[in-house]
Amino acid sequence: MSEPKEQHGQNEQQGQNEQNGERKIGVFICHCGGNISDYVDVETLRASIEKEPGVALARTTMFACSDASQQEMSEAIQKEGLDGIVIASCSPKLHLYTFRGMAERAGLNPYRYVQVNVREQCSWAHRDDMAKATDKGASLVRAGIAKAASSQSLENFRIETLPSVLVIGAGVAGMRAAVALADLGLAVHLVEKAGQTGGWTASMGPVYPQNRPGSALTDALLQEIRKRETITLYTGAEVIERSGSAGKFSVKVRLSSGETLTVAAGAVIVATGFDAYAPADGEFGYGLPGVITLPDFRRLLNESSGALKYNGRKVKTIAYIYCVGSRQAEDEAHAHCSRYCCTSTIQTALLVNERDSSVNQYHLYRDMRSYGKYELLYEEACRKGSVFVRWDPNEPPEIRNDRGRLMISAADLLDGGERMEIPADLVVLVTGMVPRSGDTLVDTLKLPVGKSGFLNEIHPKLRPVETVINGVFIAGAAQGPKTISESVASSLAAVTKSAALLIKGYVDLEPFVARVDASRCTGCKECLAACPYESLQLTNLGERQVVEVVPSLCKGGGACVPACPEGAIDLVGYSDHEITSMIDALAGEREVVHA
Amino acid sequence: MTPVVNPSLHREIAKFGGGDVSLCMNCGNCTASCSISPQLGADFPRRVIHLLQVGHEGKLARNVDPWLCYYCGDCSTSCPREANPSDTMMAARRYLTARYDWTGLSGLFYKYAWAQVGVLLLVGLSVVAAFALYHGPIVTSHVALNTFAPVEGVEFVDRIAAVILAGLLLSNAFRMAWSYLGGTAMLKIPAGVYLKQIPAFLGHYFTQKRWARCDSKISRTRWITHLLLFSGYVSMQVLVEVLLRWFQTDKVYPFYHPQRLWGYYAAATLLYTTVYFMVARWRKLEPMHRKSELSDWLFVGLIFFTALTGIIVHIFRLSGMPIATYDTYVIHLAIAAALFVVFVPFGKWSHLLYRPLALYLVSVKDAAAAKANA
Repeated sequence: MSEPKEQHGQNEQQGQNEQNGERKIGVFICHCGGNISDYVDVETLRASIEKEPGVALARTTMFACSDASQQEMSEAIQKEGLDGIVIASCSPKLHLYTFRGMAERAGLNPYRYVQVNVREQCSWAHRDDMAKATDKGASLVRAGIAKAASSQSLENFRIETLPSVLVIGAGVAGMRAAVALADLGLAVHLVEKAGQTGGWTASMGPVYPQNRPGSALTDALLQEIRKRETITLYTGAEVIERSGSAGKFSVKVRLSSGETLTVAAGAVIVATGFDAYAPADGEFGYGLPGVITLPDFRRLLNESSGALKYNGRKVKTIAYIYCVGSRQAEDEAHAHCSRYCCTSTIQTALLVNERDSSVNQYHLYRDMRSYGKYELLYEEACRKGSVFVRWDPNEPPEIRNDRGRLMISAADLLDGGERMEIPADLVVLVTGMVPRSGDTLVDTLKLPVGKSGFLNEIHPKLRPVETVINGVFIAGAAQGPKTISESVASSLAAVTKSAALLIKGYVDLEPFVARVDASRCTGCKECLAACPYESLQLTNLGERQVVEVVPSLCKGGGACVPACPEGAIDLVGYSDHEITSMIDALAGEREVVHA
Repeated sequence: MTPVVNPSLHREIAKFGGGDVSLCMNCGNCTASCSISPQLGADFPRRVIHLLQVGHEGKLARNVDPWLCYYCGDCSTSCPREANPSDTMMAARRYLTARYDWTGLSGLFYKYAWAQVGVLLLVGLSVVAAFALYHGPIVTSHVALNTFAPVEGVEFVDRIAAVILAGLLLSNAFRMAWSYLGGTAMLKIPAGVYLKQIPAFLGHYFTQKRWARCDSKISRTRWITHLLLFSGYVSMQVLVEVLLRWFQTDKVYPFYHPQRLWGYYAAATLLYTTVYFMVARWRKLEPMHRKSELSDWLFVGLIFFTALTGIIVHIFRLSGMPIATYDTYVIHLAIAAALFVVFVPFGKWSHLLYRPLALYLVSVKDAAAAKANA
């Protein structure tokens, strides 16, 4: 890892200019084909700023982002020996990297380029007043020039990464991830808390669509894992401590033997799965003989054969009550739909039908969410005689014991909400997924958790497996309810993101990190409390303790800067000096030269 | 009392020909496509199907909706699940017929083909046996049917049978009314309300005019064909039940005599319409003909053979063939007896009473409710 350092210009000219206190800044003002020039008088703007101190040239261009314009700007940098450029165009979200790349190709340090947004923040916002829009544009460009004038050549940090991944949880998601990572050439430490691998999937019995037992899937994965020497599997093991950062984590694992092992890994994939919702005593009759949860019923089906019996009595009628522990609006932790349960219940009903077609099955549901191809399963269940009764959450079914038999009182929405009583031998509560409870891993890894208690991604659509902790990814139902296929898909996404981080052997990080002036630091630790990324730490400097920045952890958030009572912290690229000079330029009274 | 459902009802209804009921997902397309649902309520026919699925035996017994459906098949055509709601409504009519019947024979006949065929054969053979034992003198020189089978004797047995069968049918119809009108609540409805609606009953009985409201394309043709069958059938019924002494004569009247013309009309309409319906069922011409239960075939077939043997008796008589006439006459009576005994109180014949009665009961209930609210 290299320290952030000021790098002196790639060409001698730049260095000399700076020593003389003069800058040669090029300003390019983009028409954006009219998007800017229709509302901002770009020629007036150019004339207003071309005399600014340090400005060596000021030009306008139709499309700054076009190949031809980039070529012209690139030539100007080289020919004029520019040591900083300002491009007044669109939002940096669009073209920051385009123009940084252009600067770099021209031999200019990319961090000496400043983008000024005169489109979204000026021309588009002020279509009604060209003169004032032009004034504002000029002020924005002046601020940009001020920033460029104090810009320095900076270099990215390069962090070497370890070619190994720690996967936590050996359910279907974790196991599949381990195999895929190994095939990409990354070493894998697969840590499972339970005594055996396979997780929930192994206990599911036959699963849709092939109706192969879930354990067949996980057994096949286990075989694949055993074939790969680069995967180390720890069962009965638990992650107890994490340190380090993306590319170089150090994680302590307590093994089943009680020993503690330190694992070094470039990335971490958390695939710890879910808990089945445990109904409260009395919830939908839970606790009465014959009222069981869906996972219990699946187990009963798997572990028995022949005529379906419960407590020695033949089962003739089963009633499934859906959405137990899911979609409870008043309870934030259980407000979610658990996705898998509708389909799983229907498939269970079909398994029962296959075993004994004389069993009557009632499905008391709220909304049938057998989405996608699972709809076919629903139709099949109808065909095989499953009866679907819809209930209203304001009037849930009630279950009671009626002379040794279960009796369900349900208000049937499709029969005008009238109540009826269904005699049943078995009531199956279709329990949803809830986050792992009593899990210390969230605290150990400092994982982000959402309102429902499941692990949180950065962006649900665009960054679905990344967390705010660099290098820590989430996979499977630990993130929220998922089917087996969805879990595997997300685990492979986490594999891809891990590989993207590790496979090159290094990562480049932008140099915009905090910088501590050790001579002024008193070691008061105010900044440590302010940083959400734990990127600051105390270090010994002679007799004193001072704060130092761990650049690989620093996100350049800047929370530490105002927290420091001594003003000893600055942010590279956003130093007090830079920001103040920009504000001065923005606020400074200057005449606009109208062409 | 909250009704307790019967979880096996959907299996039961399958035995009555309603095997597709489980496919229904209660979307309501059947109701939307039904041309008479606007008059019958937003849950027609969806609710009957739902009640069958869920197992509401009690609610079904109190529901006459199946009798208000004329099986045009629009709902089956528009059903996205191909659950054939119109077939289910037909099955519901069979189911209700069995439910109204306190002897339990109806359900037995519908559910078990052997029982139905067995009893048909038993009745038919009993008639043959009775004639073998008790027939009058066999005159071979000329046709003397009234000597072989004296009209007074035939009429006597005829009327005894009619009283028994009508008694069974009416007791079943009373059960239907009792359930629909809410048991003892039926007694609280003023007699005037019952009387005032009688013309409505007769109107529906003789014209089946409600059927004409189904605006499905095929309905009108079918309504007319069915009306033709109905007129032929009622003619035959009147001739053999009321006017047997006038109708069964050894004297051959001229062609234009009302006895012969009326008889020909009855035979012709019965033969034409039953052949038409059999061809329709065979070729599955219309939605209602796509699915035929054994009882459907037997009902239309036995009417056809009754009419056919009747006209053959007449032809043999005209041709002066005494033995052929007597034999055919016995077969004719055997078929007719089997038809009536099995189908009047226990089978499809009962719809002659149940359909207009259902409409009558609905008007009575509405009128009583209107009166109570006034």
